[in-house]
Amino acid sequence: NNCPDKRHYNYCTYCNSRTHSTDRCPNIWRSYIVKKISHDSSVRRDMYPSGLIFCYNCGHEGHFGDNCPFPRVSRTPNINGSAFTGENLPREFRNLYRVRLSEVKRR
Amino acid sequence: ERGINVSGINNSPIKAVNPKYPWLKSNKHTKQLEVSDWLTMEIKDFVKYISPSEKEIEARNSVVRRLNDAIMSLWPDAELHCFGSYSTDLYLPGSDIDTVVISKGHKYDNRASLYKLSTYLRVHKLGKRIETIAKAKVPIIKFVDPETGYHIDISFERDNGLTAAQIIISWIKSTPGLRELVMIVKQFLSVRRLNEVHTGGLGGFSIICLVYSFLRLHPRIVTGSIDPMDNLGVLLIEFFELYGFNFGYDNVAIAFKNKTQPIYIPKTSNQNLLNRNPFFLAIQDPQDPTNNISRGTFNLRDIKRSFGGAYEMLVNKCYEMNNATYKQRLGESILGDVIKFKGKARDFVDA
Ligand SMILES: [Zn+2]
Ligand SMILES: [Zn+2]
Repeated sequence: NNCPDKRHYNYCTYCNSRTHSTDRCPNIWRSYIVKKISHDSSVRRDMYPSGLIFCYNCGHEGHFGDNCPFPRVSRTPNINGSAFTGENLPREFRNLYRVRLSEVKRR
Repeated sequence: ERGINVSGINNSPIKAVNPKYPWLKSNKHTKQLEVSDWLTMEIKDFVKYISPSEKEIEARNSVVRRLNDAIMSLWPDAELHCFGSYSTDLYLPGSDIDTVVISKGHKYDNRASLYKLSTYLRVHKLGKRIETIAKAKVPIIKFVDPETGYHIDISFERDNGLTAAQIIISWIKSTPGLRELVMIVKQFLSVRRLNEVHTGGLGGFSIICLVYSFLRLHPRIVTGSIDPMDNLGVLLIEFFELYGFNFGYDNVAIAFKNKTQPIYIPKTSNQNLLNRNPFFLAIQDPQDPTNNISRGTFNLRDIKRSFGGAYEMLVNKCYEMNNATYKQRLGESILGDVIKFKGKARDFVDA
């Protein structure tokens, strides 16, 4: 590898990722204007979107396409992750999502 | 949580800041801190720009009224109904008016009636360039209205288009952002001639289903954490990301629970959605589970590639503009390369 800038080019100081450079960080455009909502966590837990989580890769319910346990169908790679991942749920749901994912795997 | 004002669209008739992007009325977008907010504002302005003016709506309505009168004088027990983009308010300037002749006993669902009406239109000079297509799966008369130049299709005794229009209207009412994104995607595909079903493109109803299921299954929207209208820019890019790179067309079908809630199902769970070619778009008709709405879309490869290209164009422009100075941003457009609108200039004031 004779490109001196290569390592620098593939490191993002913003999100510590090695899949892109800082000036091509997806966070530059994937920045939502979030609604102001109540921080009452008991209310929010009831709003977990059961029955609304589907996989773009296999078509099954319960997980998002980025987290699919089956081989990727599309021939185009998904390097930086997409909108359809548990990481894109509001923070208070991410844990529950992870727990449910591992429960499914154990079954 | 970010205190950025995305409202306050200025309606004064200023000359476009760049003749290449006639929907931009000012440089207000370029002052946005976040490029995604800039894109959101551009989407709203463009949708306003291509939406029909009062004059156009009136002209289209009078064409339909005139035709309905003509048909009722030929067949007093029949009525002319509109369906498709015209009835759902999702049409681009210059798109066809889809109509259907409906009678109580479905009396006019035959070739004789097709030719009778086509002759009637010719004799009474109600249409020019009249084509009578009898051998198609759905026989139609195509012609051009002599006064307005609108292209009109008349089909016979099929009411599924009318019910579909009702379903679409209810989806639009209940789904903020659906109309805006559908208009952009339609314009994007029509510039690339990928929106015509008879050449394997993506039809209007299929486009709506793609956008609708994308919005209704988006992690941020299902949890109520964002208002889609404030986030049209990110959502447009993520729409192209999903269908340009990630969607498993070979395995996944889009379906609807109770005609409203979109879900994904494995294609193998409904034999009607399987095709000899596995790389084929499957959208289960909300009215008829045995029907694939997008069965005519055999050019999926080009459609997917164009969606991927749109994603690349948008994010590259976002990165470029994110690094640009205020001066460099002046007169620039993020959306421009994607929609490349080549129509005649329109007046913002009555749009
Ligand atoms: Zn990054
Ligand atoms: Zn999956």
